[in-house]
Amino acid sequence: MKRRDVAIVGYYETKFERRSGRSIYDVAGEAAAGALAHAGIKKGEVDGVAVNSTLSNTAEPFWSNRVCDALGLVPRWLEMSDIGGASGIGNVARAALAIREGWCSAVLVLSADVPSTTQQVRYSGYRPEFQEPYGVQGPPGLFGLLQRRYAAQYPLKVEALAKIAMVQREHALLNPNAIFKQPMSLDDYLKSRIVSDPLRLLDSVMYCDGGAALVVTSAERAQKLGASAVYPVSYAEITNFNGDDPAPDITETGFSVVGPAALAQAEMTARDVQQFHPYDDFTIAVLMQLEQIGFCHRGEGSRFVLDTDLSYTGTLPLNTGGGQLSAGQPGLAGGMVNFVEAVRQLRGEAAGRQVPNPRNAVVTGIGVVPFIRNWGTSAVMVLEV
Amino acid sequence: MAEGPKKKPRPVPVPTNFTKAFWEGTKQGKLLLQRCRACGTHQYYPRPVCMRCISRDLEWKEASGRGTVYSYTVTHLPPEGFEGREPYVLVSVDLPEGVRVLGTLLGVAAADVRIGMPVRASYERLTDDITLVQFAAERQGGTPA
Repeated sequence: MKRRDVAIVGYYETKFERRSGRSIYDVAGEAAAGALAHAGIKKGEVDGVAVNSTLSNTAEPFWSNRVCDALGLVPRWLEMSDIGGASGIGNVARAALAIREGWCSAVLVLSADVPSTTQQVRYSGYRPEFQEPYGVQGPPGLFGLLQRRYAAQYPLKVEALAKIAMVQREHALLNPNAIFKQPMSLDDYLKSRIVSDPLRLLDSVMYCDGGAALVVTSAERAQKLGASAVYPVSYAEITNFNGDDPAPDITETGFSVVGPAALAQAEMTARDVQQFHPYDDFTIAVLMQLEQIGFCHRGEGSRFVLDTDLSYTGTLPLNTGGGQLSAGQPGLAGGMVNFVEAVRQLRGEAAGRQVPNPRNAVVTGIGVVPFIRNWGTSAVMVLEV
Repeated sequence: MAEGPKKKPRPVPVPTNFTKAFWEGTKQGKLLLQRCRACGTHQYYPRPVCMRCISRDLEWKEASGRGTVYSYTVTHLPPEGFEGREPYVLVSVDLPEGVRVLGTLLGVAAADVRIGMPVRASYERLTDDITLVQFAAERQGGTPA
């Protein structure tokens, strides 16, 4: 059943930049202050805080407390998610739970990361023993394996991947905060460097520094604030899909479960989706999500992409701010790039690239790359005005 | 040009208490898989429990080392420690025991790699203590996997 008892009432996104030299605390402070001002909520009214793990500050075991100390926040409910790029969307869902439970009434969902300035990552488990010694270039290496396998099982048109990259780049040119300011032609795409064959540089995200924050509260409070509210009406999440199978079909992802579940809970089908803001670490991930969430059948992703107007004035606007591919990926705050753009659109505040008559949007999150499969966490949320 | 930071060396696995037997095996040219005595599932990489049924009753079984390429990618932009080795072919290989293994396909030109091609485990000695499982093309006319 769809829920409209919790609302997103404000957001803020910091400048995305390469090698900013900024402290993660400075980015977090800017995002928090900006979101509260945008929502019209005083700092003292914030009684819930949700943050996520980072690439730039992972050696700090107490990030959630430390950032509250820095910002003078006094939450009655505190969450720290480590589901990677799905942390932002996951934290909105968790905040809704905490608000429904009565533990808090105004939650600051705060993401910041500065991986192009500093990183402190030290992976454990299978990674140092069974992955890194083989020279796997992180996510591009594993997505290279995924894309090759998909192309062996289904028809994959390189023009479709190019179109995803190009449409998002066109959108980025309309987004003043996007990192990439150059137009991208098909020729640019096809000539871009092969990183992990068949994966090209222009199929891939690039780290930047930045952050974003959202304010989540009860629908009742949102009405009192007179806020332009956006409602997270449904949510579904799965982690380690097929993770109990020692040799699964890697072209099947968690979105095959959570996509249909989130749409059903929102009492809609893929045809009713007005805007699509999928997590976009790689172009193939966008194409596979279209299939697995149900916009088209397995193997029809290329045709669907090539036959659909994905621009902000089209039939299914795709990542209208440029997505992470073209706006930049502020590390593990990256999922907020897609999320904030969806909220901005639904509030009618996407100047220069506004989707006409915004009603709903589907946002997704992808978190973490597991051992030679696809991705760790898949999450889908339906937002409505 | 200014002198850059020191290049990171190629990473070498550090065995844990429950993976030690695996690395003892590779030193002797054996690919050992865990098999669950409770449900019969084989698994790779080694884990503290059966990934299927969470039983701790695991035994080590030697695999034939023959398998087929499930997918592959040609690395042109290598991570630190692998500079100068590119292009190299990473493969995920399905073994008849029902597990999938990650490694490098050695001795095969990138253009000649195919999904489904038969391969066999080969062993690359990194240090006195650590030998990696890699893969090589199965010879034509070799015993089918």
